[in-house]
Amino acid sequence: MLTLAVLAPLLASLLLAMVPLGERTSRWTAVSASALALVALIAVWFNGGDGFRAVAEVPWIPSLGIAWRVGVDGMSLALALMSALLFVAATAWPMQLHSARAYYAWMAFLAGVSIGLFVTLDLIVFYVFFDLSLVGMYFLIGRWGHGEAQHAALKFFVYTLAGSLLILIGLIVLALNMPQLTFDMRAIIDSPPLAAAGVGPGLVFLAFVIGFGIKTPVFPVHTWLPPAHVNAPGPASAILAGVLLKMGTYGLIRIPLQMMPETFARWALPLAILGVVSILWGSIVAFAQDNLKRRIAYTSVNHMGYTVLGIAVAGSALGTETARQLALTGAVLEMIAHGLITGALFLIAGAVWQRTEDYHLPNFGGLAGPAPRLTGAATLAAFASLGLPGLAGFVSELHIFLGAFGVYPWLAAIGLLGILITAALFLRMLRQMFFGDLPRERAGFTDLDRTETALLAGMLILVLLIGIWPTWLLSLIDAAALLPAIGTGG
Amino acid sequence: MIWALAYLPVLAGLAIWSIGGTRVRLAIMAVAVAATTLTMALIAGGQARRFAWSETLVLQAGLPPLAQAVAILIPAILVAIIFYAAAHEDERGLPRLLGLMLVFTGGMELIVIAADLVTLLIGWEIVGACSWALIGHKWRQQAPGLSANFAFVLTRAGDLGLFLAVMATFAGTGDIGYDSLGTLEGWPLALAAFGLLLAAISKAGQLPFAPWLFRAMDGPTSVSALLHSATMVAAGAYILARLQPQLSAAPGFGAAAMVLGLATAILGGWAALRQTHAKKLLAGSTSAQMGLMIATVGAGYPGIAVLHLIVHAATKAALFCAAGMAHRVSGSFDLRRMGLGRTMPATALLVAIGALSLAAAPPLSGGWSKEEMVKALEHAGPFWAAAIILAGGLSAAYATRFAVSAFGFGFGDDRKARALPGELAGLALLSGATLVLSALWWPPVHEAAARWIGADLPNGSRLGLIASLSSVALGILAGVRVARSDSAAPAQDWLGLPILYEHGVIRPFHAFAHNAAQVDDRVIDLIPRGVASLTTGLSGRLARADDDTIDGLAPGAADRAKGGSIQAWQGAVGIAVRASTALAALGASTGERISDLMPSGGGRIAGMAGADLRRLQTGFAHHYYTILMVGFGLAVGMLILGG
Repeated sequence: MLTLAVLAPLLASLLLAMVPLGERTSRWTAVSASALALVALIAVWFNGGDGFRAVAEVPWIPSLGIAWRVGVDGMSLALALMSALLFVAATAWPMQLHSARAYYAWMAFLAGVSIGLFVTLDLIVFYVFFDLSLVGMYFLIGRWGHGEAQHAALKFFVYTLAGSLLILIGLIVLALNMPQLTFDMRAIIDSPPLAAAGVGPGLVFLAFVIGFGIKTPVFPVHTWLPPAHVNAPGPASAILAGVLLKMGTYGLIRIPLQMMPETFARWALPLAILGVVSILWGSIVAFAQDNLKRRIAYTSVNHMGYTVLGIAVAGSALGTETARQLALTGAVLEMIAHGLITGALFLIAGAVWQRTEDYHLPNFGGLAGPAPRLTGAATLAAFASLGLPGLAGFVSELHIFLGAFGVYPWLAAIGLLGILITAALFLRMLRQMFFGDLPRERAGFTDLDRTETALLAGMLILVLLIGIWPTWLLSLIDAAALLPAIGTGG
Repeated sequence: MIWALAYLPVLAGLAIWSIGGTRVRLAIMAVAVAATTLTMALIAGGQARRFAWSETLVLQAGLPPLAQAVAILIPAILVAIIFYAAAHEDERGLPRLLGLMLVFTGGMELIVIAADLVTLLIGWEIVGACSWALIGHKWRQQAPGLSANFAFVLTRAGDLGLFLAVMATFAGTGDIGYDSLGTLEGWPLALAAFGLLLAAISKAGQLPFAPWLFRAMDGPTSVSALLHSATMVAAGAYILARLQPQLSAAPGFGAAAMVLGLATAILGGWAALRQTHAKKLLAGSTSAQMGLMIATVGAGYPGIAVLHLIVHAATKAALFCAAGMAHRVSGSFDLRRMGLGRTMPATALLVAIGALSLAAAPPLSGGWSKEEMVKALEHAGPFWAAAIILAGGLSAAYATRFAVSAFGFGFGDDRKARALPGELAGLALLSGATLVLSALWWPPVHEAAARWIGADLPNGSRLGLIASLSSVALGILAGVRVARSDSAAPAQDWLGLPILYEHGVIRPFHAFAHNAAQVDDRVIDLIPRGVASLTTGLSGRLARADDDTIDGLAPGAADRAKGGSIQAWQGAVGIAVRASTALAALGASTGERISDLMPSGGGRIAGMAGADLRRLQTGFAHHYYTILMVGFGLAVGMLILGG
């Protein structure tokens, strides 16, 4: 079932690359491939189960312990579901495109590798998908972006690729230190290698933190993010923020937290500080941006800071287990919430670009008149992003802060300032875009069309549902099962 | 049932917003919802419910008598304000206004029914967001949007205190319920108590958060009437009263509440008295009155604070409605240009009731609850009693000043506009409620009320009563005098506090954020760029070393080869020369042209490819590739060390 979810978009991508289809057909091919993946994942969800489920394994290079292994636990299933949903929305998002067939082929390709990254249980396959996702995004930004798209795409590609090399080395070291060479995640999680203190495990941990930190991104390795977002087409931005950034934090949980818990616990405090710095720095710098997309992009640094703080707290081996579990619940939920909310915000930014070819906030104003639906969606998404109760962002941030306070009270208290600054920056953005006088050159601004409205409504209803009644998602995520038992790893 | 108190107005409000309709239809729908909420509040007393929100957090609702009294008050005030709003406000946007007012009411009910801190936080922030939308209701104008943002951010700064209280309570007890709050000790208790105090004073417009109340005056009048009576600001005073039993054990909590409350009451009263803008006068008065309630909670009499909250809600909503009517008729909020006593006699009479109650003149209801508060603070000490008596004098002065300036007989009856029936109905309901509540002076009534909500009635001294009443009398005289000599230039808003915010917080933060953004672009981005140039330098040096050493081998080898086989070399060159001479002889003009085509065509193709490459890479490629090299080097080093 999971293999189907990965192969369907990849086959669709192959089909789109080979067969000369029209624009409409291309779009629907890519959308239905992602939708098929989504259905397959929902089927896995309904089958239920604990731990890793829907496991399948096909040998590939047995001598090196590498195989095509798929299987999901609550966290990866939730992330894969969110990714598939976001791909359906981003692919279906109406665009005026040159070489549309190639665009949709890359979208489908990216959907396949992204879902693959979350469902695979083999570290080498994970690494391959990690790098392939860069390739897909590189072409989406470089070919269909605007402004300095080529430069931004290349910066994104090389920066993240440099990080991924560190990850590869770390993975190899992990596998070599297993009693028997294997890249099976389950085996490594069950008996984590490199438990001893020392330089070696510390360096491997550092490699993972830098590698995943670049992808997440955390301060100070985040500077590839704003140019990549500004120049990317709206749906690609939505995917970049919603899905690709999650690969960093997912990797951080899956590999350093679960596979080297002892080392993680020793380095949890610096990582938590890094998270808090990202929270504050991301929000302060976002506040000063006059470019709509740069502003949203920097809030991603802020939100991923919450996630990193939650992960660091979860792996700290301090405080009560309840506190650590809350923090991890919050961190995973923040990934889902941020994916949906920021995905929606970037799609909205894409809609604005399609209509005006402009992101400069002072050039806007009064759009609430001609575009009430756009205003409503943007207001809801902005309030969700600034953590208003009743919407998904609040649930995750509350969990993270409750957990963090039990472990590092001062860091949690300082991090709280982030939610104040994000409030200021989003309200400022709403006022600049939608209220006040309508500039003359914006007179012909059109509201969201039916497809756009439906796609955004779908995402935002989920945001609302998670915000009001989060239990269904939390029981799927089941953070308790992710929490490493410190001291038993040998 | 108890949860419905919160979600029914929210859902119904959204429905009314989307349905829309004429003024009358909107009013009927909204009043029906408010009445239903009121009925539910009446019958839901004593209920308690739980909702498993997440694995560890359970939301709880409960309605003890103290909470039920406020839960009844909110929809009751709302009914009157709906009548008023449906008649008074612009028809454009009226569905949104009434719908959001209902949503706002639902949020406020959630605060009232909350029995744990997370439920409280949820309601608290929803109310904040609704107030943002309501203050910015006239979004086509510039000022309301700015004011709405100012109000939301300033109140959210206080909300951080509530976040802290939730975190401290959970860290201390592993639970979030109000019961657990009571079991806290030591620094978690102090953090929770002062966090809640911070949140409460920000919502209630106390110092130093008071300026948001003035900015909120950019919202429609009916919004001000609702915000300043039973909701939003009332939430601050209510929550301190509700949680006083749990929080009073924290050292310094009572004293801090009394200091903050009385300071705001006196300074706010002064700021109100010196205002010439009708709504801002009332806004200053709201801060001051909330200050009195918070000080009473600090003195240990939460029940009295809630009784004053109820009395004040009816009074203040009535006065705001009247201010809006005066604005419509006189064309401005300037008190010096009103004097509408002859133009609107009925309104003037209703305003007199409200103003005298706000001035705390017996036998009106405001007088009773204020005297109870004076008695409560007498128990805390003579200094506190003197302060509240002074504050009471100031409230008498600004209330009188408002009534005399706005609805005195200063101008003749030459203005055409009259009070609308809907406006009058709303105002009459509110002033009528003030009159009915005056029954509280009668001992059986106030004893029954105190017993119901569990309030202790304090005993006061005769001296205190005399001092308080004389202070009120003096205040009324002073108010009349200020109203008559209105030529004085209007005072600065809130004693210059907004200017302090502008220059002390907002502008420095803008500058700081701007600089941070510059640093981000120029300094933080140096990390990849620095790594790139470092590696470029490194690879340059490596390349030179390569030239010097490795390449150095090649020429040497060539020399050796040349020396060894010079004969053969010359022979080969000779053959080549001879062959090319033959070729040249063969090459006539046509041949020459054909052979020329090959390099120039190739050159053209190469040029195109080069341009494409340039376009694709903009010259930065080598930087990034060198980063890769360094990354790879690091990685290999790590493999060696780590393995």
